[in-house]
Amino acid sequence: MQKSTYTTIPGLLAMAALVAACSSAPTTTSLLDQTRGDYMAAQSNPLVSTYAPREFREASAALEAANAAADRRDDSEKVDKLAYLAKQKIATAQEIAKQKAAEADIANAGKQRDQLRLDARTQEADQATARAQSAQADAEAAKAQAQNAEASLRDSQARAAALQLQLNDLAAKKTDRGMVITLGDVLFGTDQANLTGDGTNTARKLGDVLKNNPQRTVLIEGFTDSTGGSAHNLELSQRRAESVRNALLDQGIARDRIATRGYGAAYPAAGNDTASNRQLNRRVEIVLSEDNTAIPARR
Amino acid sequence: MTNRDLLTSPLTTLAACAAAVVLMAGCSSMKTPATADVAVSRAAVDNAASAGAADLAPDEMRSAREKMALANQALKDRDYKRASELADQAQADAKLAQSKANSTKATTAADEINENIRVMREELNRANQQAAPQQ
Repeated sequence: MQKSTYTTIPGLLAMAALVAACSSAPTTTSLLDQTRGDYMAAQSNPLVSTYAPREFREASAALEAANAAADRRDDSEKVDKLAYLAKQKIATAQEIAKQKAAEADIANAGKQRDQLRLDARTQEADQATARAQSAQADAEAAKAQAQNAEASLRDSQARAAALQLQLNDLAAKKTDRGMVITLGDVLFGTDQANLTGDGTNTARKLGDVLKNNPQRTVLIEGFTDSTGGSAHNLELSQRRAESVRNALLDQGIARDRIATRGYGAAYPAAGNDTASNRQLNRRVEIVLSEDNTAIPARR
Repeated sequence: MTNRDLLTSPLTTLAACAAAVVLMAGCSSMKTPATADVAVSRAAVDNAASAGAADLAPDEMRSAREKMALANQALKDRDYKRASELADQAQADAKLAQSKANSTKATTAADEINENIRVMREELNRANQQAAPQQ
């Protein structure tokens, strides 16, 4: 029976240990467990250690008292009374931490608000400065514009004066279609289209006028007297107009600024009764447009 | 009179004896500390009330007042141990009520000022955006 003795002794020892454990188990209550949970939460809340260290120490002491009562295996009513006090104190520490954190937030927010007010005032001042600068720039731009306008007026007045001089030189006449320069028969070869030396000079002066007044265009109109066949006259008038155009093209005037027409014996300037009147009819008229304006058709 | 005279004076001896008797009576009955506990708790409840806890922490406040009433009743019944315990609980409730009231007020104020800041910041940003195209 030696074997049974060996198995019995450890069994008894285990039972003894179990009984001892039971008898030394501390009192536990659900309120104490709950309080311990609250305590852990407060302990891991950094705001509590920062803002409510004193309250947390008091709460710790209260919990220790409750734990000690539980370890002494005091009755659960007594343990609960102590646990209740600890629980309320832990909650108080949490609330005080919350309050102090909010107050710190308020102090910080006050600083932020002051900074924002400062920013707003700075911004207003900056905007006022920018507006002033912008207004000054506008004023300067307006002044420059006025000066430009004045200069451009002077320039156009000078050009108008120069043009007037040149037109006077070309014996231009003002009509409702524009300025009209008449090139007489003597400026062309007899019954021919080529320009004489004087005719070439006149064409050069006209070219200068066009160069100085790039907004203007010309219509070159050729005419003959009533002598000869109308087909011949039409062709001659057209060729004379074209030879004036060619002289202008030679001076570098753009082709699209020059239009030509041959009218033959139409639109006589005088009667065809005398030789001198017929000479007046043999002519080329050059109509100079106003700035950027089309030349109205002959009526 | 010398020190020796003081110690041996019958009047002094009588006073010392009387004091000892009063102290012993207080200790044995626990009447004095219980009364003090109740007074301290009443002050805590009053403080909590003036912090606005009746509105901001009504549950804790009600609990504190009920326990105060019970503590007073216990005093009358000369159950000084129970009076002290109830007074301690009432005090814990009152302190929690007060701290809850204070944290609620502080949190509300913080929320308000943070909202103010948010609005100011928005206005500032809007003003910046309006100013930007001009520059």
